[in-house]
Amino acid sequence: MARIPLFIALAAVVFVALPFVVPSYYVGLTTKILIFALFAMSLDLLIGYTGLASLGHAAFFGISAYTIAVLSVKLRMSEWIAFPAGLTMAIALGAVFALLALRARGSYLLMITLALAQVVWGIAFGWRTMTGGDDGLPGLRRPAFVSDETSFYFLVLGLVAASTVVLVALIRSPFGLALQGIRESESRMQALGFNVWRHQFVAFVIAAAFAGLAGALYVYYNRFVSPDFLHVVRSAEVLIMVIIGGVGTLLGPAIGAAAIILFEDIISSQTQHWLLALGIIYVATTLFAPRGLIGLYRERFMARRKP
Amino acid sequence: MIWVIHTLNGISFGMLLFLLAAGLSLIYGLMKILNLTHGSYYLIGAYVGSTIIAKTGSFALALIVAPLVVALLGAVMERYFLRRFHLQELPQTLLTFGFLFIFADLMLWIWGGDPIVLPKPAAFSGSISIGDARYPTYRLALIAVGLIVALILWWFQERTRLGAMLRAGVDDAEIAGALGIDVSLLFTLVFAVGALLAALGGVLGGPIIGAQPGADFEVMLLAFVVVIVGGLGSLRGALIGGLLVGLLDNFGKIFFPELALFTIFVPMAIILSFRPTGLFGRL
Amino acid sequence: MRASWIAAGVLPLMLPITSSFAQQGPIKIGLILPLSGTFAPNGEDTLTGTRIYFDSIGNQVGGRKIELIIEDEQGRPDVGLTKARKLVENDKVQILAGFVSTAVALAVNDYAREKKIPMVLSGDAGANELTMPGPLYNPYIVRTSQNGRTPAAAAAAFAYKNGWRKVATMTSDYAGGFDTIGGFAQAFCKLGGTIVQEQYPPINTNDYGPYVTNVQSGVDGVVTFLPGSAGLKFVKQFDELGMKAKYPLMDIFGQIVYEPFLPQLGDAALGIYSTLHYAPTIKTPENEAFVAEYMKRAKRIPSDNGADGWAGAHAIADAAKAVDGKVEDTEKFLAAFRPDKFASPKGNISFDKYGQLIQSMYVRKVEKTADGYANVVVEKFDNVDQFWPMTEAELESYKYRYSELKGSMTNCAKVLEKK
Repeated sequence: MARIPLFIALAAVVFVALPFVVPSYYVGLTTKILIFALFAMSLDLLIGYTGLASLGHAAFFGISAYTIAVLSVKLRMSEWIAFPAGLTMAIALGAVFALLALRARGSYLLMITLALAQVVWGIAFGWRTMTGGDDGLPGLRRPAFVSDETSFYFLVLGLVAASTVVLVALIRSPFGLALQGIRESESRMQALGFNVWRHQFVAFVIAAAFAGLAGALYVYYNRFVSPDFLHVVRSAEVLIMVIIGGVGTLLGPAIGAAAIILFEDIISSQTQHWLLALGIIYVATTLFAPRGLIGLYRERFMARRKP
Repeated sequence: MIWVIHTLNGISFGMLLFLLAAGLSLIYGLMKILNLTHGSYYLIGAYVGSTIIAKTGSFALALIVAPLVVALLGAVMERYFLRRFHLQELPQTLLTFGFLFIFADLMLWIWGGDPIVLPKPAAFSGSISIGDARYPTYRLALIAVGLIVALILWWFQERTRLGAMLRAGVDDAEIAGALGIDVSLLFTLVFAVGALLAALGGVLGGPIIGAQPGADFEVMLLAFVVVIVGGLGSLRGALIGGLLVGLLDNFGKIFFPELALFTIFVPMAIILSFRPTGLFGRL
Repeated sequence: MRASWIAAGVLPLMLPITSSFAQQGPIKIGLILPLSGTFAPNGEDTLTGTRIYFDSIGNQVGGRKIELIIEDEQGRPDVGLTKARKLVENDKVQILAGFVSTAVALAVNDYAREKKIPMVLSGDAGANELTMPGPLYNPYIVRTSQNGRTPAAAAAAFAYKNGWRKVATMTSDYAGGFDTIGGFAQAFCKLGGTIVQEQYPPINTNDYGPYVTNVQSGVDGVVTFLPGSAGLKFVKQFDELGMKAKYPLMDIFGQIVYEPFLPQLGDAALGIYSTLHYAPTIKTPENEAFVAEYMKRAKRIPSDNGADGWAGAHAIADAAKAVDGKVEDTEKFLAAFRPDKFASPKGNISFDKYGQLIQSMYVRKVEKTADGYANVVVEKFDNVDQFWPMTEAELESYKYRYSELKGSMTNCAKVLEKK
């Protein structure tokens, strides 16, 4: 257990030193990994810790990005207004989804979150005059203090690190423990006097907030937004990142995000059949690491420790 | 008269959706598997069908062979891959997603990326007069085929021993097994039939929806919408759901063309908000 | 004292050696194309055309080797941008080329402009604004494919010339559709024709029956812009319901009569007119050689994407030769594109001051030839620039953008309203 602070310190050193050691392209790639790690962790809060599987998580990611792009590019507002507005929209949408979706469970919940997200996507795609339709909205400027790659990287690193601390604290708090109890058995928690619905609602909104933060960072990273930010494929991708990393481990999804982004980046440059390669990896992971990469690590690590 | 045409369009599309949803519903009802490769089965059916038609000129042959090929594929997938993850939703999602990618890439590799619309069989490539308009006979045939398949499935489920086993398995697989029903064989069989129905939908839908990269994903979403709206595990739900979605989609596009992108999802979201288990589903 | 004299003497001698050392490395071209997903055929075709040209000059120009680094943008703008960054920052390409999807081109546009990297649009990305003055204009862009307006204008010119005065339009319901039909409306209205009916079936429509039967009777023709499988489905139903026998079809951009669709349509395709900046049936030595080589490599008939890729490669090679291979001298290299002129499979090419090419527009008609169904050229318009048949000033004087005219295309007064 004492290894953890050491591990964190090591990770901190690596991340901080990165931009000074590796070429700029990899700094950019690491920034992207950090953003998706946050996105995946936010979904894990919902799936892994509250037991609510969602196929619409990209809606929060995307609406934050679109709000920022529309306010900044079309209405020329400053980032000090646009950024908070983006987060607010993500939170608001999270509340709306929760109100509509929380009656469903299991596969139905997956489907209703999907349907709601597709409605949001349809609006982004169809409302050309506001959102640019399928061409998207290019031309977003980063705030002056993060206009170069390195400072933007540190901004993302800082925000993602801070979010991780908050999420860890959250899952260890009484609220977080209650969520996990709800994941195990809603009826038991209800019998114990917990307001299950309210807990789930809050979890939904918090997950949406962090997804919105990831979306905000991504739109500044790319300096444009397009409908695929909130397409179901994006929701499926982040779900895969969570599953591959290890559901309910928080760190797992972050690693899953890194693994998938790196795999895709490397494989797609090598062959046009990267989709086949990725598919094979997913199948192999399910067969040989059904608890995700973290599960695999734990099994091997734990197994070795047995006397 | 135009409304008759629109309604017939909605119903024929709905029948196609029923074929796609019936298989998915059966599979979920019995095995609780959310099969993301269901759309891939549709597309493989359409592509294989197109090759058979191109080589032999026979639509009928395609209609028989393509679904059988895909049924075999489905059986293999269930027996050697999905079986291991009984009742584990998330690994199933990852696994079937992986296969979705694999199939998509292979199809692009083999058949290329240009859209293909299957030729109609000679017997049904004409049109008849309805009032002052003409309506393609193929679509009427599609409605007939859908009804026939629905009847066959219903008879099978309600009137045969196998069907009784199926219903027992849906209700409680453990007890069914204890009663001596070979649940494992049943699972494989049902999965294969589900895949067969999807591929049948692919060949039948080929002249209308066609085959191209991305159709697998779109059809899969569509099938899920129908199954969820109708209720998972319910054949009646698949039929009613299919017709409902087919009509909604058609009329939605006519009255609200700007909303064409989500004419299906808005009603779905509404229905699920009020009836979280779909119209005829049981949890 | 002496050391610095020696240095002063030696240094100037060293400079030519070091700079020619810098030139030893290959010219690296980063090709960003869709190689998976819906647009894979367009990406493949552009790539094949590009390769055919570079192979024909031995993959060498200005004393340097040409190296192609190909990346799949997967149909996603954010991936396109990531790949662009990889190509520029990691692989150190000097030129970016390709670009089929407009969204991807827009995503990379800002980045390329900031990094001062020449961007050769040799793929379909036809957004008009990239080569016109305005916020999206990028002086580092050169386009060798086409832009949205010109095939529509050619369709209007041909239709009017052939006596069409009243037409019905059928367009997929999305921005590209409105742009294209709007361009047609403007040109057609100006000539004196009118659109009497506009229809916009949604993109994923399977049932064109209602739209077909709804076509207003008495029109001289139906003008369409239906990309992807939409055109294929539409024509099958147009034919089945007996409408094709009554009304001629003008397919802007040759979407319905896309070569792989012709065998699927069979007789239903006969007689369909289309406008495009290329036809595989063009009878010039350049094109005949190109088609033969293309068939050998890809076992299929080249599309316009192939010809565009070829032209892009030619333009890059010519500009590189003009600067003796010193493509790193970006300003000079870019300037070298402007005066370039050459013959290509799609006809004669030159460039305007914004980097957009000037080429020919062809009107084709589907006929049954010895090789099967083919798009035979029936009319040709030469020296078509991006504003044709108007001038830049005239185009600027109109009040409404094409996408704003949706729903009002039947009103010529509004279509032609000036600012």
